[in-house]
Amino acid sequence: MIEFKKVSKVYGDGTTALKDITLSVKKGEFLFLVGPSGSGKSTFIKLIIREIYATSGSILVAGRNICNLKTNRIPQLRRNIGCVFQDFKLLPNKTIFENVAFALEVIGKSGYVIKVQVPQVLQLVGLHNKMKSYPYQLSGGEQQRVSIARAFVNRPPVLLADEPTGNLDPVTSDGIMKLLSRISLVGTTVIMATHNRSVVNSMRRRVVELERGEIVRDQKRGVYGS
Amino acid sequence: MIRPKYFFGETFSGLKRNFLMCFTAITTVAITLFIVGLFSIVVYDIQSVMSSIERQVELAVYLEDNISEELKEYIGNEIKSWDETGEVKYISKEKAMEKFKEQMEGSSILKEIQGNPLPASFEIRLTDSKKVDQVALRFLDRDGNYIKGVDEVVYGKSYVSKLFSITAVIGTITFLIIIVLVLSTIVLIFNTIRLSIHARRKEVEVMKLVGATNWFVRTPFLFEGFFEGFAGSVISVVALYFMSNFLIIKGERAIVDTMHIKELAVLGSSNAIIYIYAAILVAGGLIGILSSGFALKRYLKV
Repeated sequence: MIEFKKVSKVYGDGTTALKDITLSVKKGEFLFLVGPSGSGKSTFIKLIIREIYATSGSILVAGRNICNLKTNRIPQLRRNIGCVFQDFKLLPNKTIFENVAFALEVIGKSGYVIKVQVPQVLQLVGLHNKMKSYPYQLSGGEQQRVSIARAFVNRPPVLLADEPTGNLDPVTSDGIMKLLSRISLVGTTVIMATHNRSVVNSMRRRVVELERGEIVRDQKRGVYGS
Repeated sequence: MIRPKYFFGETFSGLKRNFLMCFTAITTVAITLFIVGLFSIVVYDIQSVMSSIERQVELAVYLEDNISEELKEYIGNEIKSWDETGEVKYISKEKAMEKFKEQMEGSSILKEIQGNPLPASFEIRLTDSKKVDQVALRFLDRDGNYIKGVDEVVYGKSYVSKLFSITAVIGTITFLIIIVLVLSTIVLIFNTIRLSIHARRKEVEVMKLVGATNWFVRTPFLFEGFFEGFAGSVISVVALYFMSNFLIIKGERAIVDTMHIKELAVLGSSNAIIYIYAAILVAGGLIGILSSGFALKRYLKV
């Protein structure tokens, strides 16, 4: 589903964030990206949604090289990749329903599709009874579930999560992880960057460890530390 | 894919959000375009007054009383042969007196006049009023005296050339003022849109994240800029309409009355002002769209 071939990223100020990364992620795979701050996890994720360019190498998403993608094709790429962040990025002046619906609205889906799909996905994350609430009325874990619902409402084949449990307590994190693994079970490729040791250890999924921009470990059913 | 309801909703929520900034932008556009329009109208007006004055520039060649018939005929034919001459009228002493009496009717001055002190004259209307000096010079000999048979040549020399230079100066000043004002309007709308983007940066971020197209993100901001520019220009056109109806046309009447110019191209009767209004409306919309487009390019990077 996602293939990195000898990808390097050097930022404008000269820091090398990623060095010669070659990695392949299969469809439906669940992959943890671990490593200390500054090891290149976020850069990895930003490269996949073409927020930044690779300095060299090529990145294939669903067989398509996204490095030479024209600017006006980027929206199409992003519609196939759901994104979840540590800070949720919910719109405070919109209700839960509207927040999720917004993702469909801006890609031009009809009102009918929105009315059907949004309650469905909110049911999936267990928040269908809070559709009319505003983000500030929800707990952190609930807010993160809304943001997952928003990322997944369009049924993208790939879901990227950058520290989704970074702001949450262990029990809540557990709930989020269960949700993500359910999403991966239906065939979605999930890539999750995290510092969270217990989350990684409890899941026993593929673990890729980065250090100073290089892959130092790639284990099929790994744990956080080696 | 086209969702007018969404775009209009977003546009107006943007306008509501930075009401004060938006209000300032509209006001600036209105004031700017009002001044631009006012100057355009005034310059146009002066120019049309000028050209009608130009068409009326006349030379009066007063003849000596004791001029011989042959000389009078010779001078008349000579004037007619010039290219610059449009129309020549001979006014005899008697005719001059008649006209004088008409103008001075009821005045006591008429009783004091004995005989006919008024000279006969040729009234020359020129095809090109700028050549009035040249033509006048032909009635002088080498020493600067009037040629034989001619007593005096009179024409509105000084005020004509003054008017020419005044309109030129007004035109230049107007042009400079307009440039400065248009630039400041662009900067203001630019800033308003930038603030609007700033206020909505979270939404924009999410939009980009879930794969909204660039035009989808841009359109509400362009609408907002257009609305601000257009609203401002509508206000200025309304103000100009009242202004020109009450002030300028009255002023023109005053000029017409004091200067005894009959064939004046009065603004009120011309549809040039409609074109000025249309140009202002188009300019307002364009300034709005262009400056918001410029702001988006730098600050949205979609």
